[in-house]
Amino acid sequence: MITCHLLNGEFVDREFSDFTVIADVTNCNRRVLQEMPFDVIIGLLSKLGRKLIQNPDINSLQGVSYISIWLRRKNLERICKTNYGDCTYLDTFVPVDNHFAMAAQPRGIVCQWIAANIPTLAFFSLAQAILSKNGSIAKVPEENSAFIAALLKELSDIAISYNGTTYRGEDLVKAISLVSFEGRNAEVSRMFSLTADCKVVYGGSEAIRSILALPQKEHCETLVFGPKYSFGVFDREYIESERFEKALENSVKDIAIFNQMACSSPQVLFFEKSKYSLEEIGLMMKGYFEQLPQVLRHQGTDPAILANIINMRSRYLLSDHQNIITPPDLSWTILMDTNPRLEDPVHGKCIFIKEIESITDVFNLITRKIQAVTLCIRDEEKRRAFAREATYRGVDRVVIPGATHDYDQPWDGILPMNRLVRWVILKNEHEV
Amino acid sequence: MTPTPAGDLNDLLQQPAYSLLDDEKNQVLLPIIRNQLDCAIANNHCLANFFSKLHLSPDEIQRLEDVPPMPVQMFKYFDLRTCPEDQIEKVLRSSGTTTGITSRVPLSKNTTINQIKALKGILKDYLGEKRRIFLVIDHEGINNPMLEFSARTAGVRGLSIYAKRVFYLMREEDGKLVLNLPVIEELLSRYQGEEVYVFGFTYIIWSTFYNQIREKNIRFSFKDVKVFHSGGWKKLKADQVSKEHFSDEIARIFGTGRETVLDFYGMAEQTGIIFVDCECGNKHVPNFAQVIIRDPYTLEPCGNNEVGMIEVMSVLSDSYYCQAILTEDMGYRVGIDDCPCGRKGVYFRFQSRIEKVEIRGCGDTFRE
Repeated sequence: MITCHLLNGEFVDREFSDFTVIADVTNCNRRVLQEMPFDVIIGLLSKLGRKLIQNPDINSLQGVSYISIWLRRKNLERICKTNYGDCTYLDTFVPVDNHFAMAAQPRGIVCQWIAANIPTLAFFSLAQAILSKNGSIAKVPEENSAFIAALLKELSDIAISYNGTTYRGEDLVKAISLVSFEGRNAEVSRMFSLTADCKVVYGGSEAIRSILALPQKEHCETLVFGPKYSFGVFDREYIESERFEKALENSVKDIAIFNQMACSSPQVLFFEKSKYSLEEIGLMMKGYFEQLPQVLRHQGTDPAILANIINMRSRYLLSDHQNIITPPDLSWTILMDTNPRLEDPVHGKCIFIKEIESITDVFNLITRKIQAVTLCIRDEEKRRAFAREATYRGVDRVVIPGATHDYDQPWDGILPMNRLVRWVILKNEHEV
Repeated sequence: MTPTPAGDLNDLLQQPAYSLLDDEKNQVLLPIIRNQLDCAIANNHCLANFFSKLHLSPDEIQRLEDVPPMPVQMFKYFDLRTCPEDQIEKVLRSSGTTTGITSRVPLSKNTTINQIKALKGILKDYLGEKRRIFLVIDHEGINNPMLEFSARTAGVRGLSIYAKRVFYLMREEDGKLVLNLPVIEELLSRYQGEEVYVFGFTYIIWSTFYNQIREKNIRFSFKDVKVFHSGGWKKLKADQVSKEHFSDEIARIFGTGRETVLDFYGMAEQTGIIFVDCECGNKHVPNFAQVIIRDPYTLEPCGNNEVGMIEVMSVLSDSYYCQAILTEDMGYRVGIDDCPCGRKGVYFRFQSRIEKVEIRGCGDTFRE
């Protein structure tokens, strides 16, 4: 059984046995986006950003302030320019040379499997589908559906005037359907997959593999945002510089945001040997963990994750060359050792900190599953050289402390919106 | 003269298992545990690390809840021996159900004797003074000493100490459990008037024994029966079988009442202690043990009816860290000293195992 939370702009829960009606309505409604000037779409979304931050019922929700910043016109234009080069492609054929012109057409219906770990994920995914003029059917986790619905309701109420015509956010929302269904239901999953002109899949290994195994239309494009891992690296000069403490403070915030459940959440921080011992660095971090606002410090954590944290703490307490710094509760955990390796993520603000001889020791740890490396190297040339080698080996993003979760593009090594459109060509007849 | 902790332990094991009020018990257990922890630190550098890094000396421990609990998983990764190595007589290996890694529980002669005494004390409270015929709802191979210890073997071996004769009601045929009909026929023809006790793994009782015995329309009518069962309810819950329905149906097979079908909770790492349901459906903590329910986030002890992680404390072992073991099971304390069944001490209920979480997102792993 499929529960549809949003259809044709109406936020009413309805049950369906297949996607026929949902797909027909979404497909029909996306035509309005196609005819809407791209600048209007940017205008409606940036107005939403301003509106969200002014609404006290919404702006207190975790992640809304970041969404609001992300929706600034300048940021949206930058993201679109990175993806499309020229946003005019979304509205018309743009001459490339005398022989042909190009345009970007939406793929159609983008079916999105949204993971549960990041409450804001559904919004960013839908915003990109809007910015590529696609219709969306998003499978949202039940626990996050109210959050995303609240944001889209705000969008519904927005209107702007452009060249004498009034354009409404409601039309953007009408091109979106939100659904929930049991992911293990093979038949419903199969139907959902077959509905898609483009699939966007977020999740862990198991979810990704099972979704990729579903049948799909031959023309269907698939974007996978699969399991990834992030860590941080600090070189000796940086550690001994005046920047270090602020960087540590920001790293602690990076760890705390999303309760360390995101692919961009650092799981290990490597510190090159310096004048500070690992214990001293751990104690500095302790201070920043203690200063976290309550909403970040105490986040709901699954008992299985808590049990895992308890186990990791005890393993480090029993071992000879490892130690821990912890509060009495499980709000955060620092695990210290000198073993230069990556560790299985524990989540729940359980950070491994490690002292290493040289920052180049981490090169051999890099796999294609590494998303973000928070890179703190004092010398800019050395930083670029490190980034070049790290990205060659598999790292997708090299970031600064406090910015690991910034939803930049490219992401996971791809320019998503560039792939949400079909690049079409209009050839000119040669002049005789 | 102040009694030695060893003397106190022997006294404890000789008393009726549920006779001490909780406060009295805590006062008796604390010095024994402190003493055992001193030995643990002296004999095991890992445990010495553990206490040293916590900046904790056993002498400073003023309350049982301040004894640092050891997560049960640590038996898989560390040697948690607390006595000199030459005192270890055997190492109990318990097969893991989730990770596949084996727990290692080192046992000395003293520990084994204490565990047997403790279990006898508990069973005596439920079965009376006399040994009984023991019916095992499993196959005989489950008790093969060459095999690794599992929850099933733990139950069979543990409960058999009260048996005057053991009968296995199932046998293995092509890897499947089927009724051991010759044994069942012998029981029906020769032992119907006997006092018996029965043990089986909950899911095996329901999914194989019950179905097959019902098909054959077999009913027992012993003089007195107690049916002990243990193991998870998850699969039965999935089949929508309630505890009450299970008890009624199994009682009907054995010609007895629902109140004689007794679920118990236990673990290989705390052999010697089983927490058996009383007639009110509560699990009771014997004199030589304690149960603390801890909030999984604050790790503070929970109040009555607050669900948390079950920590089992015991003084039975001088050979491994049994003094405080934090399980990955959730439960809640129902009360202290005032269960209508009359048993003293803490009484609690098991709720569920903590299931391994599937990380529902992208922050997964670095391995390709």
